[in-house]
Amino acid sequence: MNIAVCVKQVIDTEAEKKLDPSSWRLDRNVNCILNPYDEYAVEEALRIKEAHGGQVVAVCMGPEKATDAVRKALAMGADTGVLVSDEALAGSDAQGTAYVLAEALKGLEWDLILFGVRSTDGETGCVPAAVAERLGIPLLSTLAKVEVEGSTLKVHRETEQGYVAYECPTPAVLSVIKGINEPRYPSMMGIMGAKKKPLEVKDAGALSLDKSRIGLDGAKTRVLSARIPEPRKAGVKVEDDGSGAQKIAEFLASEKLV
Amino acid sequence: MTESRDVMEVDVLYVGGGIASLSSALHLTNLIKAHDEKAGDKKIGELVIVVLEKGFAPGAHGISGAVMDPAPLKELVPDFVGKGAPLEGEVKKESVYLLTKSGKIKSPITPPPLNNHGNYVVSMSKLNQWMAELAEANGVNLFPEFAGVEVLYDDNKVIGVRAGDKGVDADGNKKSNYEPGADLHARVTVFGEGSRGNLTKDLIEHFKLDEGRNPVAFEVGVKEVWELPEQRLQPGEVIHSMGYPLKSDTFGGGFIYGMKDKMVSIGQMTSLDYSDPCLDPHREFQKFKLHPMVSELLKGGKLIQYGAKTAPVGGYFSIPKLSFPGGMIIGDGANLFNSQKIKGIDLAIRSGMLAAQTIFEGLLEDDLSDVKLAGYAKAMSRSKEMKSLYKVRNFHQAMTRGLYPGLLTAVGQYLLGGRVLSNRLSSKPDHEHMETLVERYGTSTPSADDVGDIKFDKQLTFDKETDVYYSGATHEEAQPSHLKILNLDICYGECAEKYGNPCVRFCPASVYEMTVDEATGKKTLKVNFSNCVHCKTCDVKDPFENIQWVPPEGGGGPKYTMM
Ligand SMILES: Cc1cc2nc3c(=O)[nH]c(=O)nc-3n(C[C@H](O)[C@H](O)[C@H](O)COP(=O)(O)OP(=O)(O)OC[C@H]3O[C@@H](n4cnc5c(N)ncnc54)[C@H](O)[C@@H]3O)c2cc1C
Ligand code: SF4
Repeated sequence: MNIAVCVKQVIDTEAEKKLDPSSWRLDRNVNCILNPYDEYAVEEALRIKEAHGGQVVAVCMGPEKATDAVRKALAMGADTGVLVSDEALAGSDAQGTAYVLAEALKGLEWDLILFGVRSTDGETGCVPAAVAERLGIPLLSTLAKVEVEGSTLKVHRETEQGYVAYECPTPAVLSVIKGINEPRYPSMMGIMGAKKKPLEVKDAGALSLDKSRIGLDGAKTRVLSARIPEPRKAGVKVEDDGSGAQKIAEFLASEKLV
Repeated sequence: MTESRDVMEVDVLYVGGGIASLSSALHLTNLIKAHDEKAGDKKIGELVIVVLEKGFAPGAHGISGAVMDPAPLKELVPDFVGKGAPLEGEVKKESVYLLTKSGKIKSPITPPPLNNHGNYVVSMSKLNQWMAELAEANGVNLFPEFAGVEVLYDDNKVIGVRAGDKGVDADGNKKSNYEPGADLHARVTVFGEGSRGNLTKDLIEHFKLDEGRNPVAFEVGVKEVWELPEQRLQPGEVIHSMGYPLKSDTFGGGFIYGMKDKMVSIGQMTSLDYSDPCLDPHREFQKFKLHPMVSELLKGGKLIQYGAKTAPVGGYFSIPKLSFPGGMIIGDGANLFNSQKIKGIDLAIRSGMLAAQTIFEGLLEDDLSDVKLAGYAKAMSRSKEMKSLYKVRNFHQAMTRGLYPGLLTAVGQYLLGGRVLSNRLSSKPDHEHMETLVERYGTSTPSADDVGDIKFDKQLTFDKETDVYYSGATHEEAQPSHLKILNLDICYGECAEKYGNPCVRFCPASVYEMTVDEATGKKTLKVNFSNCVHCKTCDVKDPFENIQWVPPEGGGGPKYTMM
């Protein structure tokens, strides 16, 4: 079973997030990492490969330095990597990204496409669905378990009440959630090896991308304004001198929470 | 998920990816490249050169002042300006102040050791990042997120190090993603672990490298980078201060350096031979900012980053033997630091370069024996940087006598090239300097006022938790604590009674917390290891030597970008 796993480079969770006030684009000139949710997707892809054979290709759209994210997937064990990188892609929204990824995926061989559930920066979570739509194949999102039997996928889709079990033939797009597995650490040997694995960088021309669908101009979403959330106010501390329960009840009542 | 431990054969292994190691790896690859270009058939060829760095990325654990003497860098990268070295500014203006609580006395001249004209203000994190790029472009293999956790010996010779395991939970059990650290076997292992290196400590003990030397001594620097509303200090402008808020029996001083983009680097060094059990270097630094000279400067600005780190100040006589069978020690790990000039970057680069030169010659002659490696120490002693360290060989020990007598001795030493006190002054290790609460305060329960505690306003002054947030420090929570408390009974008993658990105060990251159960009065020491900024103060200063710092899972620790 050949698997494509889509990965994104995001700015590090601890890095200061700054938006450029003219374009509302995120300043990526800080520490960047492989999107933590994508690590679960890479791990799942590798586990399926280890059980059933095949190849894993990591696919990414991003600036040049996003090669680091692809290399990390390679160091974990993916076989090859593709990075779509072009100045013209900067500012693409989720739809634009899905278009680009779908075009890149069309040139690759896969039976299954894996995604992390969302990125920690854009947080839209809709790229997997849009890619599935563009490729005309089923989508199964927010999965907590994936099993492969021949060309049938048996998955658990997480819901608020529990999970729903689905079966679906390949090819399909899957997005997996945190906790589906424990992503492996790249070993030193893996990192050394990753330097020699094929990583192809493609620009917009190589994929014959339609310029009107990419970049800031091609984006269907417009950011109208943005602001930093107010710091959270300190909570109310109730000292328990025997009347603690009473005070909490009064507080909840005054906030109309009970 | 492999159960067996990989063994990786490398030619030259650097443990610690600070400026010393990175410069050394760069110099070595430069020498080899230059040689191979003109050598006919006696080429050295491609070597596997590996740098292990416990931080998340090169520079993530790099923190300094810093005013850099560029002399060795000029030799290493002659066109360092053209190659985009991250220089904040050249030092053109500098002043020195003696501070009192609200006043200041400007020194009419800059004392010669602090004269920095021609030097540059730099950020260690940025410089390390830049140097890492140059080294990587030369084919050096950098491994951030990998800590060296054990020295590998074979027949009394160092053959490499073991990298730390990953995926071990808090109870020491292997998780499903357990990844055993590789054993790196190297022809030469170079230790550039920085101040109070963990494996370096082991080496020094193993080979008795400190025999006949003075004990090591440290200062801890607590530092913040601020962004100001306008460029109030020119990039490269330097201010040093002595006196307030440190009491006159505690040595140290403040620094303020102008950086680019309206930023300033501001910090305070506190000598860890202090005796007051209630001293808190983080709090003293916060007080430093309350001094009108500093608070005026910072008005309307905002905190950008926080960090802390020790610097080895024991001086010339505390430098261990620099080589041993199988390897050598470079940079701060070898106490190569000039505490009078507050400079270690130049010594780190110089030692890295000379270590590289020695390795290069050894490779050419196919001789990496102890005798050959010892050539590094000889070359080091002939260097300008080492000679200037020798000149001030008794500075720190003189300073431990208190500010004013110390200053007189030190000035005398400077003027007479160290000859006043040519016999080394002995000193005892930092952790033995602490007085008990009763000795210091006459009571085992001094008041907050006596101790000098202040309230933090979260505008100008910050509590440790807030500051830690700005250091970016995090660690995988599911791992055993990397701060090993050897005997908890001491914490609850003798240490509590005599010193009031000073770890709670000397740790600048609020790692140690003593909680008391109100019902039972039972004390529990909570170790918030995830906060740790890897400064190593606890490893140095605990009066019972009851805390041992070991490297956590690779990638943990602060995430500095402009310290
Ligand atoms: C507050 C402060 C202010 C200073 N001001 C100045 C100044 O103004 N001018 C000046 O010239 N010098 C100054 N110094 C000194 C200067 O910063 C040091 O001399 C210099 O950083 C030493 O470089 P190094 O490479 O030896 O060590 P470090 O910079 O400490 O680098 C060591 C590296 O090794 C890594 N490491 C350690 N152990 C391991 C392990 N077991 N496995 C993997 N990785 C490991 C660490 O994470 C770190 O990145 C200052 C120091 C401090 C603390
Ligand atoms: S625990 Fe030790 S090394 Fe870590 S920040 Fe505190 S004093 Fe420094």
